Amino acid sequence: MNTLYVEGNSLLHRLSARVKLLALALTGIALIFIISPFALAIAALAAGLLYASLRIGWRQSWLRLRPVFLTIFVVAVFAFFVSSAHEAATTLFRLTTLMLLAAAATATTTIGDFIDEITLAARPLERIGLVKAADIGLSVGLVIRFVPEVMTRYRAIREAHAARGLKPRPLTLAVPLIILTLKSADEIAAAIDARGIRGQN
Amino acid sequence: MDIRFEEASASFEGRVALHPLTLSLSERRIGVIGLNGSGKTTFARMINGLVKPSEGRVIVNGIDTAADAERVRAQVGFIFQNPQNQIILPILKEDIALGLKAQKLSKEAMDAAVAAILSRFGIPHLAERRAHELSGGELQLAALASVLVTRPPILILDEPTNQLDLKNRDLVERTIATLDEHVIVISHDLPLVADFDRVLLFDQGRLVADGTPGEVMARYRELAA
Amino acid sequence: MSTRDLVLAALFAAIIVVLGLLPPIAIGFIPVPITAQSLGVMLAGVVLGAKRGTVAVLLVLLLVAIGLPVLSGGRGGLAAFAAPTSGFLIGWVFAAFVTGYLSERLISRSQTGLVQGAGFFLAALTGGVVVLYAFGITYLALITGLGFKQAFLGSLAFVPGDVLKAFVAALAGRAVMVGYPLLPQRA
Repeated sequence: MNTLYVEGNSLLHRLSARVKLLALALTGIALIFIISPFALAIAALAAGLLYASLRIGWRQSWLRLRPVFLTIFVVAVFAFFVSSAHEAATTLFRLTTLMLLAAAATATTTIGDFIDEITLAARPLERIGLVKAADIGLSVGLVIRFVPEVMTRYRAIREAHAARGLKPRPLTLAVPLIILTLKSADEIAAAIDARGIRGQN
Repeated sequence: MDIRFEEASASFEGRVALHPLTLSLSERRIGVIGLNGSGKTTFARMINGLVKPSEGRVIVNGIDTAADAERVRAQVGFIFQNPQNQIILPILKEDIALGLKAQKLSKEAMDAAVAAILSRFGIPHLAERRAHELSGGELQLAALASVLVTRPPILILDEPTNQLDLKNRDLVERTIATLDEHVIVISHDLPLVADFDRVLLFDQGRLVADGTPGEVMARYRELAA
Repeated sequence: MSTRDLVLAALFAAIIVVLGLLPPIAIGFIPVPITAQSLGVMLAGVVLGAKRGTVAVLLVLLLVAIGLPVLSGGRGGLAAFAAPTSGFLIGWVFAAFVTGYLSERLISRSQTGLVQGAGFFLAALTGGVVVLYAFGITYLALITGLGFKQAFLGSLAFVPGDVLKAFVAALAGRAVMVGYPLLPQRA
């Protein structure tokens, strides 16, 4: 599976994942309290410049940002008609700023760094017995590992429909996909336990 | 190797999978055969503590499997029927390194151990590959590497040639022949265990024959007829 | 959490990701094309129950957050949480939990198929529509200043598709329970 990380050596790449995530969260909160469309437009411009400094390229950036930007745009247009131009402008600039900053953090942080940071953040939860911190990385790895297998299985089920002249329907596709996939859970779990990967159990 | 079953039995939800069994194993190559549902897989899973005895005890190199499954698993590696489900992280070398995490090695030592086990099975070129891109034979070798990297002295293989084409089947057979570990192979593939030191035959949850491959296989053919 | 529960949640997360890769379907009487991914969220609840279903959805959101484009339409990364509709994304967690919790309470193996199906539908409708929209609309109203009424009206177009999904989830939940029962039952 491709990730949205982009190789590079910019200042953002060198900052630790924790600093970037904290900065993103704080900016997100601060943006809620700024209500001047003019100030928010400047913030969006600054975020745009920061994102541009990563040199991801216009085409690639458009592909990445389009889906989120379109929802922001549609909601802003909706706000313009049902509410006011002021409301529409604050929504547009506030969320665009946040989107650009979030996309910049995503593009400059590797999956490994994110997982290390999340594992570290989960340590206090581990102490109160809520999660096992090491399970987080393991589960993320498991999902990425088995997405292609589930996709292969989905195609096989579609082919089986075609071979028997059946029209594929959500129900007749989803049910065998779920049962076949979940049935492998026992063996995968046994393999994890047999290798002693999660320690005692 | 010293594996002892002392009146050990296993039942699931009231159904007996293995009747009380007393037996001791020390040979280097042991084959386990039997029809489907004969209890041979349950027997194998009891050796590394995945299935705990309902009654009696299973002792592996002096360790009771019910008391300390974790130490038993360090002694007994297990290769499951479907190698597809055995590799659990997307990139092969990450997956192999996973088993070493518990040993708290340095990064260099871990990389070295992963590289060593990959060359042992002749697959260093697969290190960076994604698990779902590997062929059946490659997956089986990868599964062997992922399990043997922690150096268990005993290895159990459950139907290792089940889903392989002839070429990959022969590759796995040759690989098993070169293993230094004590090996217990569960299989329908009789030629695979034909030159083993000892073969066990299970039927309906009971051990019904135990001896040299020649004797036991003759008995298996009678049973299947 | 047992290793098996962890693996079940991870496999279901993989199913939800795959459902997001499938192209959206346009259905005649529904104004917007529907994607299969939010169906996956309801399915997680009806098939796995509250705890494992919630973990499955949390794992999908975790993958999104760390930069994998696993949402329908190839969306992903932290930016996916910056959209005006991100409340619906966060609401998935609670949707799966409520759907799973109600499924565990409402359904028992001794009921007839019709009663089980109705129970699953009620669970998926409450979790996957009522709870989900409560989160989505509240977030939309607050983050954009649209106000609840407008945010509610703006979201209405998506309701028929999601009710239909609750119906599919109910049938699938029952079929999976017959074929490979996993749902913990408290009733």
